[in-house]
Amino acid sequence: MNRRTFLKAGAAAGGMGLLGGLPAPTLAQGTAARTLRFVPQANLANFDPIWGTQYVVRNAAALVWDTLYGVDENLVPQRQMVESEEVSADGLTWTFRLRQGMKFHDGEPVLAKDAVASLVRWSARDPMGLMLRAIQQELVAVDDRTFRWVLKKPYPKMLLALGKNNSPCSFIMPERIAKTDPFTQITEYVGSGPMRFVRNEWVPGAKAVFERFADYRPREEAASWLAGGKRILVDRVEWIVMPDPATASAALQNGEVDWWENPISDLVPTLRRNRNIRVDIADPLGNIGTFRMNHLTTPFNSVKARRAVLMAMSQEDYMRALVGDDDKLWKSLPGYFTPGTPLYTEEGGEILKGERRLDAAKRLLAESGYKGEPVPCIVAQDQPITKAQGDVTADLLKRIGFNVDFVATDWGTVGQRRAMKNPVGQGGWSMFHSWHAGADCINPAAYTAIRANGAGAWFGWPDIPAVETEVSAWFEAKTLEEEKAAIRRLNKAALEEVVYAPTGFFLTYQAWRANVSGIQKGPLPFFWGVGKS
Amino acid sequence: MFAYVIRRVLATIPVMALVALFVFSLLYLAPGDPAAVIAGDQATPQDVERIRASLGLDRPYLVRFGSWVWGILNGDMGVSIFTNLPVTTMIAQRIEPTLSLMILTLILAVTIAVPMGVVAAWKQGTLIDRAVMGFAVLGFSVPVFVVGYLLAYVFALELDWLPVQGYTALSKGFLPWLENLVLPAVALGGVYIALIARITRATMLEVLQQDYIRTARAKGAGQGSILFLHALKNAAVPIVTVIGIGIALLIGGAVVTESVFAIPGLGRLTVDAILRRDYPVIQGVVLLFSFVYVLVNLIIDLAYTLFDPRIRY
Amino acid sequence: MASATLLSPIEAAPPQGVAAAAPMPDVLPPVKPRKGFIGFVRRHPTMAIGGALLLLMVLVAIFAPLLGTTDPTALAPARRTREPSAMYWFGTDMLGRDVYSRVLYGARVSLIVGFSVAILASVVGLAIGMVSGYVRILDSIVMRVMDGLMSIPPILLAIALMALTRGSVQNVIIAITIAEIPRVSRLVRGVVLSLREQPYVEAAVAAGTRTPSIILRHILPNTLAPITVQATYICAAAMITEAILSFIGAGTPPTIPSWGNIMAEGRALWQVKPYIVFFPAIFLSITVLAVNLLGDGLRDALDPRMAKRL
Repeated sequence: MNRRTFLKAGAAAGGMGLLGGLPAPTLAQGTAARTLRFVPQANLANFDPIWGTQYVVRNAAALVWDTLYGVDENLVPQRQMVESEEVSADGLTWTFRLRQGMKFHDGEPVLAKDAVASLVRWSARDPMGLMLRAIQQELVAVDDRTFRWVLKKPYPKMLLALGKNNSPCSFIMPERIAKTDPFTQITEYVGSGPMRFVRNEWVPGAKAVFERFADYRPREEAASWLAGGKRILVDRVEWIVMPDPATASAALQNGEVDWWENPISDLVPTLRRNRNIRVDIADPLGNIGTFRMNHLTTPFNSVKARRAVLMAMSQEDYMRALVGDDDKLWKSLPGYFTPGTPLYTEEGGEILKGERRLDAAKRLLAESGYKGEPVPCIVAQDQPITKAQGDVTADLLKRIGFNVDFVATDWGTVGQRRAMKNPVGQGGWSMFHSWHAGADCINPAAYTAIRANGAGAWFGWPDIPAVETEVSAWFEAKTLEEEKAAIRRLNKAALEEVVYAPTGFFLTYQAWRANVSGIQKGPLPFFWGVGKS
Repeated sequence: MFAYVIRRVLATIPVMALVALFVFSLLYLAPGDPAAVIAGDQATPQDVERIRASLGLDRPYLVRFGSWVWGILNGDMGVSIFTNLPVTTMIAQRIEPTLSLMILTLILAVTIAVPMGVVAAWKQGTLIDRAVMGFAVLGFSVPVFVVGYLLAYVFALELDWLPVQGYTALSKGFLPWLENLVLPAVALGGVYIALIARITRATMLEVLQQDYIRTARAKGAGQGSILFLHALKNAAVPIVTVIGIGIALLIGGAVVTESVFAIPGLGRLTVDAILRRDYPVIQGVVLLFSFVYVLVNLIIDLAYTLFDPRIRY
Repeated sequence: MASATLLSPIEAAPPQGVAAAAPMPDVLPPVKPRKGFIGFVRRHPTMAIGGALLLLMVLVAIFAPLLGTTDPTALAPARRTREPSAMYWFGTDMLGRDVYSRVLYGARVSLIVGFSVAILASVVGLAIGMVSGYVRILDSIVMRVMDGLMSIPPILLAIALMALTRGSVQNVIIAITIAEIPRVSRLVRGVVLSLREQPYVEAAVAAGTRTPSIILRHILPNTLAPITVQATYICAAAMITEAILSFIGAGTPPTIPSWGNIMAEGRALWQVKPYIVFFPAIFLSITVLAVNLLGDGLRDALDPRMAKRL
């Protein structure tokens, strides 16, 4: 007896004549095939991709808003909304010309002034945008389709800044929306992207709905990541939020959803056994797990204590705790940059390789002057990635001889507590976990976590001039060889002084029903080219 | 009696005011900073400060409490920090699944538990009685999420009779709606059934010893009519009271059940909001739940005075 | 909730501590002569079974280190998610920890939380209820506050309180206790109010006995019976609430193996590795069942009116 017949049989058996008369709606086959039901990695709680920079917001925003440029699968920025650009010989004046005939979802044409307003808002929040803003002379619309950006200093990474996939992306919004203060949420979700956000069906924490935008003109080229023609093959995409992986897994097996962004690896064998389900790696660029230490407070203000952690930590333990038994899913990472990308290096990585040296770590810790002060580890329990790492860390630090003060909390509290620079005992902290998308760690451009400029650095505030020197060297590098040399030196310096402790490199899966086609691998789920039969 | 009704209604006002003060203070004191969550992983401390100021989180306690209460009195529960949607809108979006779940559970529990309790009292001391009582103790002892997962495993995954998760609006048809709610309602109903069955049995036992039951029996009334007409009617007050008080159980259980079955209702909204420190939403939801609880019990109290002339206040 | 006084305290006190109210035994139960262990078991089978199971759990908790366990927090990611076997009786979890050891040590947390909440809520509830029942001026204020607290569903209240603070066994105990206190206070107050009307108390007052002495001699002993019964139900409720808090992610810290934590961690794998959830669930259910049976038994023993009917 299958599911559909069960209740009907029950209704008949129970003599529930009343029910029999009610319509039991069988969705027309066509409608079902034109709706793609997707389980995202997290809840779409807010929907302003400049204001909120969570990955899930960026992923949804890529459907609704278009960008001037977009990186392709080789991470090369390609023209998207831009038809052509021109840069003056001194590299200071950029002139961009928009494609013709682009429309926003409210029917208004996309004009240069919209792009200018959007770039102004974006550049107030984005790390690369802030760099541009610092050297900006003027940013003006010349005519309806042309705008000009004049700089005081050349900025060779301009197209990457406008086309990168790292959050916040420089999404183009209508001027009236883009005029919103960058620190206030927008309240209208109108873009010129391939899908329209159906606001009245949005239930934050449960559901978000997108409809195909009929007036979208895809580019002629084939789609490749954020570049090329974004052709939407379904009428409707429904995001269904499921906080519990067990529930999501069951729903996929039952055909209640079509595509699951992040199945946990332990469930993958079960999914694979199901003939109606396909499983593959989600993003070949993967993720880098981080054990982030506070360089301002005892004990991690001492480089010896930081190095003690590096020499004792087993990346294998972390990675197995994160991804399970599948060895294809992880790599140890004696460095900071994404494996398999051009700048990857293991320079200076010996400390993370080979036999783990617990006794040497204990000695080094003693030398650091550590006297058993409590070490607050703040661990978010609501994020599987931080939770698994936290469990391993608690065990590791205890064995090295730290007096661990394990603060189990949620991601929101971690967000607040890690911003505090107070000493331990006055709300301060010693370490927390996070992770960075591999796509963010291919170079220092959007890789805030590698920076070591003290108060200006990411939480933990490492102050290591040698690292900053090499970051500047990379930004100024003209050739790939120069870039590589700078990154090699950077990696070595960063490991020597321990900017943070990488826990390893890991991949995640995605899974979908066999009747869905066209799913790509990439740092975010691409809905263009995805069809359903 | 009219005076009593008025008095009883007025008495709920200080209670609700207290709940409001309590809920507001509780979350005012909470650690965890929504501004930091909003700012995201890449934000600098300065960003966080600016966001905090723009949300008004840096104003003093009394100012925030005052503006919150004033807003509620005007039907405005504030705006969610995360979604920028009015809290009333978010609650409205999610009230149907929770209400459906609760009503279905209520109906299910009452239709199962009351006959169970009646039969157990009638067959006091027999195997049936023991089975009912055993079930009741078990219902109290097994956590709702364990029941939920067991049910989902058996009826959704193994047998494929019912869906694992989700909610279908009643407007899309009665059967799809029911399909999605059967398992959650059974899981949630366990404790409630146990509670109602026990109270029914206990009260029935008491009532069955009364003189008028013996009289009815002597007059030759049938067993069924004695149990369900004479006795149950007189046992109704405590049973109905417990059903009202048990609403608290349903609310608490709904929070967990909605997570297990991925039902987009108020329970999950509550958990999400607490984990995200979305103060306006937490305040709105807890206040609403408390209001419902007080209201239901007020109605039940008032109903006695109308239906049972023996009760005098 | 005036009508609540129509309820017997027992029936109105399910695990989650739904409002319990007033009536109480008119007199202390007569002390029955003991006729040895077998006689006790025969007279009170539920209490005997519940007590035995609970005792067993307490012993397991105390002697966990001697029962073939290993360090319940020792990680070994290389041997994670092993099925139950001769080596790992209950299997290993996703970090390679031994589930058998974790479940046995987990008994400690559940029992400590259950007992502590029962005792604390009873003591504080007793104090508040006494004051409220005796000091007329405070009565209406205290009871309004209790009404307010009671109109927030206890689990919701405990979650909200846990959101205020960090996860620790101590904080879990405090949060659940606060959520349970109003019910005990109401119960005690009801008992006190009705006892004050009893002829022998009135007689004592008329005879000029001083208030503290009346409380000590007449009031307190008579509240102990209903409070003890109530306390067992609170204990059961607290253990379930602890599991729910951990399940949601707002309970005891994950470094401490508690049944709720083990289940919360295993629930994502429930479909493929059901044993991780299964064993702690069984232990939790059995323990709560034992406490509930003990409570039922106590109630019957302490309230002979009820006992006749069971």
